[in-house]
Amino acid sequence: MSMLGLLATMKLGEATSGGGFWMPESASTVAPEVDSVFYFINNINYFFFALCMVILIWFAFRYHAKPSEHATFAADAPTHNTPLELTWTVVPLLLVGVIFWLGMDGYLELNESPEDAYEVQVTGQKWSWTFQHPEFGVTEAAELTVPLNKPVRLIMTSSDVLHSLFIPAFRVKNDVVPGRYTSLWFEANKPGQYRLYCAEYCGKDHSKMLAVVNVLPEDEFQTRLGKLAREYEDIDDRDLPAYGLTRLYNRCASCHSLDGSSGTGPSFKGLWDRTRKGTTVFTNGQDLKDLAGPGGEFEVPENYLRDSILNPQRHIVQNYTGSMPTFKGQLKERQIDALVLMIKNLDRLVDEQGVPIENPDLEGADISTGAGQ
Amino acid sequence: MTTINTQPLDRPAIEGDNYLTHSRGFLSWILTLDHKRIGVMYLVSVLACFLLGGLFALAVRTQLLVPDGLIMDQDQYNQAFTLHGGIMVFLVIIPGIPAALGNFVLPIMLGAKDVAFPRLNLFSYWLWIVGAIFLVVSIFAGLDTGWTFYTPYSIDQNSAMGGVIPAVTGAFLLGFASIFTGMNFIVTIHRLRPDGMTWFRMPLFLWSLYATAVIQVLATPVLGITLALLAVERAFGIGIFNPALGGDPVLFQHFFWFYSHPAVYIMILPAMGVVSELIAVHSHRHIFGYHFIAWSSIAIAIFSFLVWGHHMFTSGQSPLMNVIFSFITFSVAIPSAVKVFNWLATMYKGSISWNTAMLYGMGFIFLFLIGGLTGLYLGTLATDVYLHDTYFVVAHFHYTMMGSALIGFIGGLHHWWPKITGKMFNENAGRIAFFLFLIGYNMTFFTQFMLGSHGMPRRYATYPADAGFQNYNIISTIGSYLMAISFFMMAGYFIASIFGGKRAAANPWGGRSLEWQCSSPPPHDNFSEQPAVGDCYDFSVLRWDEATQGYVWREDVEHPGHHTEEAAHA
Repeated sequence: MSMLGLLATMKLGEATSGGGFWMPESASTVAPEVDSVFYFINNINYFFFALCMVILIWFAFRYHAKPSEHATFAADAPTHNTPLELTWTVVPLLLVGVIFWLGMDGYLELNESPEDAYEVQVTGQKWSWTFQHPEFGVTEAAELTVPLNKPVRLIMTSSDVLHSLFIPAFRVKNDVVPGRYTSLWFEANKPGQYRLYCAEYCGKDHSKMLAVVNVLPEDEFQTRLGKLAREYEDIDDRDLPAYGLTRLYNRCASCHSLDGSSGTGPSFKGLWDRTRKGTTVFTNGQDLKDLAGPGGEFEVPENYLRDSILNPQRHIVQNYTGSMPTFKGQLKERQIDALVLMIKNLDRLVDEQGVPIENPDLEGADISTGAGQ
Repeated sequence: MTTINTQPLDRPAIEGDNYLTHSRGFLSWILTLDHKRIGVMYLVSVLACFLLGGLFALAVRTQLLVPDGLIMDQDQYNQAFTLHGGIMVFLVIIPGIPAALGNFVLPIMLGAKDVAFPRLNLFSYWLWIVGAIFLVVSIFAGLDTGWTFYTPYSIDQNSAMGGVIPAVTGAFLLGFASIFTGMNFIVTIHRLRPDGMTWFRMPLFLWSLYATAVIQVLATPVLGITLALLAVERAFGIGIFNPALGGDPVLFQHFFWFYSHPAVYIMILPAMGVVSELIAVHSHRHIFGYHFIAWSSIAIAIFSFLVWGHHMFTSGQSPLMNVIFSFITFSVAIPSAVKVFNWLATMYKGSISWNTAMLYGMGFIFLFLIGGLTGLYLGTLATDVYLHDTYFVVAHFHYTMMGSALIGFIGGLHHWWPKITGKMFNENAGRIAFFLFLIGYNMTFFTQFMLGSHGMPRRYATYPADAGFQNYNIISTIGSYLMAISFFMMAGYFIASIFGGKRAAANPWGGRSLEWQCSSPPPHDNFSEQPAVGDCYDFSVLRWDEATQGYVWREDVEHPGHHTEEAAHA
């Protein structure tokens, strides 16, 4: 796009995403407190900035030497004034003391979650989020559904590197650290959908590690989670491949393409073909054929797909690095089935360019996962 | 060579004999023990790195013109911002003032012939070059960790690219170059002050270099150890930072910021020292509150060691630690505020020359005010939790690191350019470039405060199209292009001055510290006799001399010699 074109698309009115010039729309109980501390500091800053700039510009003009080479020396100008200097040491000291206190007060509130909070287990991994609702036995990926007007506590950990969970509208953020739990809490007070970002740099697709927080009134929340809990049982076997594509593939999408282009991991296109024929070559020089066949580890070829999801570090495909995290414990058996079936039937689900086909024809599709073979 | 003939102690230098012409040939430069030549070599190297780091910055800004990224893929973008940060921090801002300007100016200002250890000085330059080569080589090996090398990303062979070990080796060597320079400065200031140069007669630039050197010597070894541990962890997996081996990834952040927070004062303190000189000399007015400014440098150096935890308010460290670190962090605000008020008071009743160097001095106050005041939101716990790791932080540290530290360097470069090269640059071109820079700078970075306060995380190669981030990004990118133009203008008039500039007088601005008492450029030995030291901010003894186009000693004031020294300070 040309520079002029870019300028033409600028509309200053859209510069803010709701909310004011400084702070965006807020949707949690702690947000007004954070904002009020922000605006308090703002006012102090406006005052001191204006004061110093007026003095700077005033002196620059009032005492301007013209021409600049012919400066004169004011012998009567004071070289120090201890009471004045003590004043401008002590006054800022008192002001920053007040700011510190306000900030600490707000922070301690941010930090102490109510005891009756609804808990969600969060896992960060390159480059997606997993939200588990233990109360419902539900796992969500691209979306975090939370109840309105009820404290929610996130207990977070990472399965690889550092991440940071950041929801601007709630004014909350905390790092997600491998090997330990961190937590944060919020109480959403406005229904709607809000952005969730990864704020700690985590590698290639850091800027695509996004999700949406969906705030629903209590009754709708219960209905939605209940429905999600039964989702896997309710679904018809015949719909599993399409289900894998629409509901689960987004977790794989940042690394595994559908159109044959290689990303961080190999494309899903043609994967089943390569698996069945055993043509996949690993970094240790072995190929899949060596492990297939009677008595081989992958006598049932579907097991290779399953193993790649659960133990991705065991066999790494040539020309790729083993950067895939394990999904062990995060996927139910039905979901693994859905993914395997999606890969097996990918030709029927997407076109040559990897674009999903609407109402795919799955008549006669292979919907066995190999378990019966 | 024009020198002040009314000055009894400063004999005119032999025509043509100065540090540039004293000896000739390539070897006479690369093996020189002359602090001035080493300073010039640092200057050229730092400016070359500034160009490289600047090109990466322009690539980053161009990428963000559109939500999906304009010119790079995710991996390329991650490398671009990593190298921009790494080069600017380790190769430009940290060595900029101390190693380049400081090496040139410090011994002359002090009245010494050279630094205490000239060979160590040369060694530290070449060590710096080797370190720089390692860092630049990592460009080709691929480096995408960010300049902070956070674990466990950086130690994960499957995640971070291959350039981590060359890059940390480079930073390790650069750290030693920095330690040697700091040691050299400390010893020089302690041992080589001539008669009459008491601690409280030293120009404030020397106080700031002294405070900086103390931090360099005490903090940099921690960085060296940390980076060595990182390299060993990555290569052999000893299990200190890797959680899979029982290590603690957050420990790295503590180690890293234990150096890198003091390091931001390694960057800003010398710039504050430069600004103290710029404001006083170009206002032709005794610095206001000398003792407060000198002690505030020392106070900043001490406090700087106690605040590293404020980089980690959201890292999962305990709330008690967060509260303590927040409290101490605010203490750093005070000495910084004191300096600003003192600079403003120095301009009161001055006779202010609007020279380019002075414009940068005033520009520093303007940009540092914004940088410092926005730090208050980040030291405050409730607001930092929200603003941490967003563009608000990016804007804040660019206002302090670039708008302040680098502007101090550029202001100092204009101030001492006539002394270094013996030539005057075109003042009008300098003023135009300054205002272009100022406009471009604020377009680039002020918009990033709004980007951050609206929630755009840093280190994003792409951003959601409907989040309202694009307009600010476009303004920011256009500003960065204006800044680039101003820097190329600067390069143009500096280079032009070397070939066609007017000859500089010994004292073109009216300074009184000792470097303005020797010729421009200075002779090889700086001073043929030990110079007389007076109050370096008492400018009332100078007057403008039309014939030499510089300031000279007033005939009606007795020049302080060795024997009349006490009288001069009565």
